[in-house]
Amino acid sequence: MFVSQSMVSKVITIDKDASVFEAQEKMASNGIRHLPIVNSEDILIGIITDRDIRSTMPYRLIKETGSAKEREKLAGLKVKDIMTQDPQTIDLTYTIQDALLMIQKKKVGAFPVVDDNGKLKGILSIRDLLRAFINVLGIGEPGTLVGIEVTERVGQLKKIVDAVTEENISLGSVLVARTWDEGKRAVFPYLLTNNVVRIKKKLSDLGYKLIDPMKWSLDRIPKKP
Amino acid sequence: MKKTGYLHDSMYLLHDTGPYHPEMADRLTAIYKGIEKAGLLDQLTLIPAIRADIKWIETVHTSEYIRRFEEVCLSGNRTFDYPDNQMCTDTYETAFLAAGGVLDVCRRVMTGEIDNAFCAVRPPGHHAEQNEAMGFCYLNNVAIATRYLQMEHGIKRVGVVDFDVHHGNGTQHIFEKDPTVFYYSIHQHPSFTFPGTGREFEKGEDEGQGYTLNSVVLPGQGDDVYQKMIQRDLLPAFERFKPEIILVSTGFDGHMDDDMSDVNLTTKGYSWIMETIVKLGGLYAKGRVISVLEGGYCLDRLGELAENHVRILLNG
Ligand SMILES: [Zn+2]
Repeated sequence: MFVSQSMVSKVITIDKDASVFEAQEKMASNGIRHLPIVNSEDILIGIITDRDIRSTMPYRLIKETGSAKEREKLAGLKVKDIMTQDPQTIDLTYTIQDALLMIQKKKVGAFPVVDDNGKLKGILSIRDLLRAFINVLGIGEPGTLVGIEVTERVGQLKKIVDAVTEENISLGSVLVARTWDEGKRAVFPYLLTNNVVRIKKKLSDLGYKLIDPMKWSLDRIPKKP
Repeated sequence: MKKTGYLHDSMYLLHDTGPYHPEMADRLTAIYKGIEKAGLLDQLTLIPAIRADIKWIETVHTSEYIRRFEEVCLSGNRTFDYPDNQMCTDTYETAFLAAGGVLDVCRRVMTGEIDNAFCAVRPPGHHAEQNEAMGFCYLNNVAIATRYLQMEHGIKRVGVVDFDVHHGNGTQHIFEKDPTVFYYSIHQHPSFTFPGTGREFEKGEDEGQGYTLNSVVLPGQGDDVYQKMIQRDLLPAFERFKPEIILVSTGFDGHMDDDMSDVNLTTKGYSWIMETIVKLGGLYAKGRVISVLEGGYCLDRLGELAENHVRILLNG
């Protein structure tokens, strides 16, 4: 799962000498929030975000209360004046998991993706990661989620998967909540079927506890017994 | 008392889903027995099945899909598109009889022969997409009826109310860009049940924006939440839209005794929903309410639910 498979490769960039107005226009017309800046060798030299622009020229200032002189000054403002130089990047060989952890840590909305020479190869935004995760969750396909409490013992997951397979049901995904009650885990198979009555009964008969849907959670605080 | 049609035919039992499948022929038998036991058969106009002209099916489904359905069915395949969709060699014909029966009911309502009706058909339809069978559904009966009413009887605005416990993804997708059809569905929250669509933020697309409305019910909730949501969402929507006819996707699978869902509607709760829809029919649609069966799998409850359902239509 490398970022190269999920990133946008046709990156819309902007020249460092373009005006900030131009950058704003380009973002709006393309529905994007990040514009990388490259030099003539395609080497990444900076990035400008819609937030950078908004904090430089608040809407009010341009449209209403700003004086002619202020406006002129803003019009003269160039991308290179407000861009972030040497922005945080990720490599082509980063995995989706790397990117996810990076986004959480650095609190940014997108990373330019570069090769070993610093050449811009793509851009990966939270939006792209979401698409990847909607895909692994399987929720683009019709199905039913089931919540099962299992004790932390080897082979529990296999038993569940076997039971599902015996019922001739396809699995869209299986999520495991790692924090549950002490010694327990919550497993959420997404079953690609409308017909879960029999599999639910089968799991109960196997001794599994089906979790009340209103108590389902992917990251809840563990309860000590 | 209203003249209420009851579409019922033993041919609808021919669609065999094999052992252990919840969408079984016994459902219709349970419904018939419930209505019979209540002594309501004499007051109803019994309507037999009739095969649909393929030209009406093609107003909703692609020719390619219809051909594929026929081929897969006649080749003796037990499933179609998804393992959920169990079938037999009679399934294709039965599906045409279901759609055709509903169209004939529409015709009778439009010519004034009957006022309203309950169509107890199988296979159901609301999950069927233009080009895909899904969730036990092959032909989207309600969608086909909608197009028929518009094209053959000059109806401009069709209101569809879907209270099956699952979202009618097929019906929504077929009409989501169409401002002449208002699709309202109330169902268990899609994160907790099949098929995973029908989120509150799905409100129609393009021209059809504002003509799709979804109310989502959390697991464990029942009559009072349904009443609150229908009053909050459906009533004002239909007051604005003023449907000329109301088609109902009737699903009894939200009943507390039905294993297919985690919501807890009671038999009384179901009556309230239908009474409310019939009232809306009286307000805007000259009483023209046509109910078409979708889900509902608790054989012990289907009889009383169907009895109340047709009684409400009769009292319309
Ligand atoms: Zn249903």
